[in-house]
Amino acid sequence: MASIQYSPRLVRQLLQLPPSIRRSCFSTAATPSKPDIYDLVCVGGGPAGLSLLSSLRSHASTRDLKVAIIDSQDLTTSRVANDPSAYSNRCSSLTPASLDFLRNNGAWRHVDARRVQGYHGMEVWDGVSGAKISFDPLEAKGGLLETIAELVPGSRFQESVRKGDVAEDPAVMATMCENQNVTSGLLQRIKEVGGVEMLDKTKVESIEFGPEPEGETGLDLSQWPIITLPSSRRLAARLLVGADGANSPVRNFADIKSDGWDYNQHGIVATLHLDHSFAENNLRTAYQRFLPTGPIALLPLPGNKASLVWSMSTPLATKLKSLPPSDFATMVNAAFKLQQVDLSYLLTHAGSNLDIADELSWRLPNTSTAATGLPPSFPNIAAVQEGSIASFPLRMRHAATYTRDRVALIGDAAHTIHPLAGQGLNLGLADANSLAKQIVYGVEHGMDIGSTWCLDGYNADRWAANNAVMGVCDKLNKLYRTDSAPVVFARSLGLNLVNSLSPLKGALMGAAGGK
Amino acid sequence: MSHFTRRGLLSLPSGLRSLILGRIHAAPTTSLPQPRYFSTSSAFHSDHSSVNQDEVSHFNALASSWWDPQGSSRLLHLMNPPRHDFIRQCLNSHIREPGKKLRYLDVGSGGGIFAESAARLPNTHSVTAIDPSPEVVSVAKRHQRQDPLLLEQGRLSYRNCSIEELPLPTSAETAVDVLTVFEVIEHIRQPAPFLQACLKHIKPGGWLIGSTIARTNTSWFTTKLMAEDVLGVVPRGTHDWNQYIQPHELRAWARTQPDVDAEFQGWQIMGVVYVPGMGWKEIPSSEDWGNYFFGVRKKQVEAN
Repeated sequence: MASIQYSPRLVRQLLQLPPSIRRSCFSTAATPSKPDIYDLVCVGGGPAGLSLLSSLRSHASTRDLKVAIIDSQDLTTSRVANDPSAYSNRCSSLTPASLDFLRNNGAWRHVDARRVQGYHGMEVWDGVSGAKISFDPLEAKGGLLETIAELVPGSRFQESVRKGDVAEDPAVMATMCENQNVTSGLLQRIKEVGGVEMLDKTKVESIEFGPEPEGETGLDLSQWPIITLPSSRRLAARLLVGADGANSPVRNFADIKSDGWDYNQHGIVATLHLDHSFAENNLRTAYQRFLPTGPIALLPLPGNKASLVWSMSTPLATKLKSLPPSDFATMVNAAFKLQQVDLSYLLTHAGSNLDIADELSWRLPNTSTAATGLPPSFPNIAAVQEGSIASFPLRMRHAATYTRDRVALIGDAAHTIHPLAGQGLNLGLADANSLAKQIVYGVEHGMDIGSTWCLDGYNADRWAANNAVMGVCDKLNKLYRTDSAPVVFARSLGLNLVNSLSPLKGALMGAAGGK
Repeated sequence: MSHFTRRGLLSLPSGLRSLILGRIHAAPTTSLPQPRYFSTSSAFHSDHSSVNQDEVSHFNALASSWWDPQGSSRLLHLMNPPRHDFIRQCLNSHIREPGKKLRYLDVGSGGGIFAESAARLPNTHSVTAIDPSPEVVSVAKRHQRQDPLLLEQGRLSYRNCSIEELPLPTSAETAVDVLTVFEVIEHIRQPAPFLQACLKHIKPGGWLIGSTIARTNTSWFTTKLMAEDVLGVVPRGTHDWNQYIQPHELRAWARTQPDVDAEFQGWQIMGVVYVPGMGWKEIPSSEDWGNYFFGVRKKQVEAN
């Protein structure tokens, strides 16, 4: 700049020009390139974001929307492991509603069915009192099960027996599926329908509103989120969807508060080997026991595999994770089978010189299953899949709202739920389903799909529902984490009462299923 | 009001017009509910416009809140999706040329709630939107700038004029398929000449579609007393209950028009009721006592 000489007269003339023209004379190089206009930009290529896009691409009304998805990871490679004997420790228990959604948007056909396991019943019992409840869809179709299920953290089967949702196998309560298998099916579906710009291996550099417009006419993007990529490419989004996880940058951009708390607990997950293998057509059962340290759940996978989810205090989780794999497997058996006092002793002394296997082998024959409430069908855990033990902190977060002008949050960006309830993925898919429906309605009625008029319905549909599920999971977690006698008595009474009143169970199941 | 032309009012968006009318009503009127006659023989002033200037001022004052999601136009926004459902119902009652894109003329377009939405639909050729209030039209134009789609050439054009001032179409091809008068008639002193002026812009087989409020004790209670005075969801002075029109009065007028087919499928009606928390819901037969949509079809072949 210094090398160029301007005559004073030229400078004076320039100064007389309107500011906008002046600026364009001097700053053309500095002005960022015009952003590309998109109808929808989704940040985050997890199951929630992918299922939203595959839904929109599969519907005639929304097929022509210009959409893009941004994710820092590589979305092109299939992420399903090919080893049939090894399963990911990140599994979800898909409700029939989730399954329906995945079928309708065309992704379920692409999920590897050999790695999926439906289950047909669930045994839930109290670790202190032995009170129990069995959920059996064959006994009472469509009802109480769900109501209770929603109340039980770790139950993983909300909305499991919905009439009409269970076309394929009416007896299936929920379906275990590795998260990466769901993701892979969605990615293949999106590839099949095409039309989604995949900006993977790409970080979002910044999100900000467009510039104030210059002049009285022409495009005004000052209310539009503009996403800048590392390549300096910029995308203007009519609707910016935050499917970008618990620390959502989109949520931060929209200045939406997310409140919650940590439980000072960790959830341990692992893939387990059972001592006998199930055939494909066997009826399978999920098991859950409420221990004062936190619930423990065993969910079936194909063959002799099962998925473990066990929550406990952070120090205890650290200790159990450090055990040799064989001792860990023994500990899981003990946690399901022993009386509270014996289990307590083992947990306290695990990691010292205690021979856990030996302890279990003499304590077990002296334990009455009538006292523990252990279901007779409970399998024996033979081993832990190598390298599959992992843990993550349990926390509860809920965004104050899911929508702002031109912004919508789905999945973990909107809510982080107590993971033991296993509802995280289901809630994310339900969010995507609801938002997709709102967008279809908006497009069919000429709405700006980024406007609050279009998005209000999504927030109204999902926020209160998720808040209720989260609140109940949280309260039940607290309820079941105590061994104080009156509380144990009351809660066991509740479980036993519901279990013995078959008609009540059926009625409740019907009420919940018919909604 | 006499020193204003009426054309300003008519060209206002229907919501504004309603609001303006309400203000007029605030001045004491002594008239009792009586039939409204559509005869053109009634005094139709030489100012050649249906616009009521009091209404124009009323809606000018409301212009800034037009697109505020929690503002006074909220009920109008919520009513917009049923408008499209009703238009579809009218259009689908007759066989149409498949894939043929539609031309719209929105009279009394206000801040552009309906005009924008019509312009976004994939089967729309173009939308012309007119309103007599300059403030309201400038709000609409400013809002249009926020959507690149609506800035596409010819997709959505606003004009600050009344229907009488709008040049007539030069051919049947450039006449419109759908002319809309949403929440407009209740703000107009002389509906018959106004509607006749509208008909001139519609192509044979096209539709005149609108919504308004029936003049009943119920509508006085809900739109004047409750909406304006008690709940305050609609600005006071928005409606002039005396200008409300009954569906049978509208139909009687339509039957007197030689180029209108007001029989069988050529006459469509849908009553809607605002249910707090649920939005506008279609309630069969509610057209006789509340808000309603009406559609009349211009005959396929022009009457000579």
